Amino acid sequence: MENLLLNSVEKNLSQFMFTNAIFLCQRLLAQFPSEVNLQLLARCYLSNSQAYSAYYILKGSKMPQSRYLFAFSCFKLDLLGEAETALLPSKEYIEEVPGGAAGHYLLGLIYRYAGRKNSSIQQFRMALSLDPLCWEAYGELCSLGAAEEASTVFSNVSSHCLQKTCVAQKVSFSEGAIIDQLTDSDKASKDARLWQTEDAPGESQQDLKIKQFGPDIPPDTYRQLNNSSHTNVWDLKTPSPVLSQVLDAPPPLLYKNMRRPAVEGLMSVHGESRRKYVSEEMSAEVAEESGRRRSARIAARKKIPISQSFGKDSQWLHLSPSESNYVPSLSSMIGKCKIQSSKEGIPDTVTLNDSATTSDQSISDRGSCVNDDEYSNPNGSSADRFSLVSGISEVLNLLKILGDGHRHLLMYNCQEALLVYQKLSQKQYNTHWVLMQVGKAYFELQDYFNADSVFTLVHQHCSLYRPASISMLLFCFSDFLSLVLKHLKEEMRLGYLAQELISVDRLSPETWCAVGNCYSLRKDHETALKMFQRAIQLNERFTYAHTLCGHEFAALEEFEYAERCYRRALSIDTRHYNAWYGLGMTYLHLEKYEFAQNQFQMALQINPRSSVIMCYSGIALHESKRNDEALKMMEKAIIADTKNPLPKYYKANILANLGDYHKAKKVLEELKDCAPQESSVHALLGKIYKQLKLYDKAVLHFGTALDLNPSPSDAAKIKAYMERLIVPDELETEENL
Amino acid sequence: MATESSESEEEGKIRGGNDKLNIDDDLREMGKNAAWSVSSCKPGNGVATLRDDNLETYWQSDGLQPHLINIQFQKKVKLQLVFVYVDFKLDESYTPSRISIRAGDGFHNLKEIKSVELVKPTGWVCLSLSGTDPRETFVNTFMLQIAILSNHLNGRDTHIRQIKVYGPRPNPIPRQPFQFTSAEFLTYSTLR
Repeated sequence: MENLLLNSVEKNLSQFMFTNAIFLCQRLLAQFPSEVNLQLLARCYLSNSQAYSAYYILKGSKMPQSRYLFAFSCFKLDLLGEAETALLPSKEYIEEVPGGAAGHYLLGLIYRYAGRKNSSIQQFRMALSLDPLCWEAYGELCSLGAAEEASTVFSNVSSHCLQKTCVAQKVSFSEGAIIDQLTDSDKASKDARLWQTEDAPGESQQDLKIKQFGPDIPPDTYRQLNNSSHTNVWDLKTPSPVLSQVLDAPPPLLYKNMRRPAVEGLMSVHGESRRKYVSEEMSAEVAEESGRRRSARIAARKKIPISQSFGKDSQWLHLSPSESNYVPSLSSMIGKCKIQSSKEGIPDTVTLNDSATTSDQSISDRGSCVNDDEYSNPNGSSADRFSLVSGISEVLNLLKILGDGHRHLLMYNCQEALLVYQKLSQKQYNTHWVLMQVGKAYFELQDYFNADSVFTLVHQHCSLYRPASISMLLFCFSDFLSLVLKHLKEEMRLGYLAQELISVDRLSPETWCAVGNCYSLRKDHETALKMFQRAIQLNERFTYAHTLCGHEFAALEEFEYAERCYRRALSIDTRHYNAWYGLGMTYLHLEKYEFAQNQFQMALQINPRSSVIMCYSGIALHESKRNDEALKMMEKAIIADTKNPLPKYYKANILANLGDYHKAKKVLEELKDCAPQESSVHALLGKIYKQLKLYDKAVLHFGTALDLNPSPSDAAKIKAYMERLIVPDELETEENL
Repeated sequence: MATESSESEEEGKIRGGNDKLNIDDDLREMGKNAAWSVSSCKPGNGVATLRDDNLETYWQSDGLQPHLINIQFQKKVKLQLVFVYVDFKLDESYTPSRISIRAGDGFHNLKEIKSVELVKPTGWVCLSLSGTDPRETFVNTFMLQIAILSNHLNGRDTHIRQIKVYGPRPNPIPRQPFQFTSAEFLTYSTLR
């Protein structure tokens, strides 16, 4: 009965019939109370979003898995302290954190929410070292600003790890004690010898291997290679694998191993290759090699036996097409592989291999050599091992690119990020996640038109995805729009998109942010504020919503509230440079220039390339009378972003205020050509000419300024200036700015 | 600007009123930054009712005419429009008839800048503070005083339901002499 119920519950869980699963599991638990069943029930509750139920039933359990689930429930219930103690029960002796990488990741999140930045960084790094495919941990590290280069993270070491994990997985799947023996020998063979000798296991294995004859005979060269090796010895040779695009054996297992949802992009690639692998046998040798070079191995879809080889390094050395000094033998997955790409000739594989090896990182080569014996006795292990290795290298390579791009983006090196993302294959690039990142990169560069086009692309192709993508689009789009003055058609488009969002997903905070942006665009700041507050209610930790609230309060001139909002945003995420910028602007409005300058400095530390922030920093410096620094800052801003006309304008303004009218005039004359429709340029020019006593030109420019439709208060000002042109300065009363 | 439903030939007479406030985008309400006070009031109908956004509640004066509403700012502000919500149909003899608006630095140097006569107003009445001179769209002042000089039907006390004061939006970028108008400049002017 127990098994029946167990199977039934598992099936229900996999088919999302959670309430049924809960019911059955409760019966199961009542009848056969055990810790394992308790865990199962907790899983059912958690799947059904009943974290509190899981919390109550798991309280006090000691088994690692239970502790992990309990900590997870606490986390969901926002009981961070309890979650932490569950994962790390005592400080005296460091027990193993339950759940492995997942446990570390959870702990990292807990520390992050609690504001303990260093501990969280430590935990995320541990998670990554235990499981290199724990992308989220890397993402968190990036956003904390503590990520290392993607190449170091997703590198050889990780490959080793992954392979070990796969081994472990395989062990569980494989039949027979052989495997255990093999894995033992695995660990035993850490010497530099290429091949490990196995005695007793080898023999019995041979028998087995003979039985499993791989369906395919590899290309001739293998045979040639084979000839040179022993006949009674199962050799492992590095095959010249064909890089297959679709990952084979390794990925599915890796996924099963992980409780982490993989990156969407990865998912699409691996999704196809989910097959059950029954490992019939393994031979596992791992001779870890210090040199690491990658041999791109095929996910050769056939059962190629992994044979163990004994001695004779050199042979394999020059037999293997690539730089293999390695013997990577792993307990491989032997599965029912399709026969694929094995037909491809060696030349192809060699070239592919070369290209693979030219790639930046190499993964420690565990490609097993394929022996001709293998082909004659095709016990699938070696191919699977190769497939494993090649799979791993594929995955890690992909993650490396994505990781690099992500890290660059979060360090606001947007250009580099864009370049990195270009390196992705077409298929990967056109996925929702990557496009969103690309769009965000353009947005941060203030290249709004490109951002718009990317986001529209996302919307069109990926609108089936989580509406958060559309809301992200809207969000950035509306920010962009709110900066460019009313372009009526776009306003309608924005409104339309907002409506669409609400109808699709009312419970996503991004939706409400987007709606709020619509209102803000129409200058209805009070309503916008309400929308942003709704977004906050949906997700307290949505930093951007807090920042936007702050912006709205600032627009309403309620600077105290604005400051509060910005500070709350910063407490959630210190690296949210928009909040620092907002604080700086608030202080500028409040005329606390020194404070403002500090905030802008902080913002610049996070995003050193933002010319807008540099401009404001310059303004703050100028108002604090640090004029040299101000001018230097403006120069920096001009260089940082050549498309931005504002630093020149501000520079001219500062120069005019300092009395250096000629320089100011020169700058403005250039600027006039860049932005012919800008009335403030002409107005400022008019003022300067007036100071230079060139009244004709002054009148000309004031007139142009008036023609270019300035705001009413400015129009009044300009008219006033024109009137008083003839009156000398001393008699003028200075108008308030 | 709110439109008046009709204007009489005589200078300064305003008839009727609007149900809704139609304000240009480039104006914003300035009353929040001001200290409001009144010359007298009946308990329960105090100065707060003038600013509570509720057209049902009203301020009722309780003294001699002229009744005064004082709006004091902490620094000189530019003001353009004053809107007053009064309703002859509801208030009859309590409805103000002649209103004078004065501005200055304080109680000691207020000067009248506008004087209007309302004729059976029903709704929002717009009192523009700009002078006849088109260059003077704004009044730059520390203090505004709205004086009710007389009521309809010679009533003694007056009811006013709501008052709003509008001025131009400030430059979103602080400490800059002029606002930006073109798309290129605006794109780079702020971050969100």
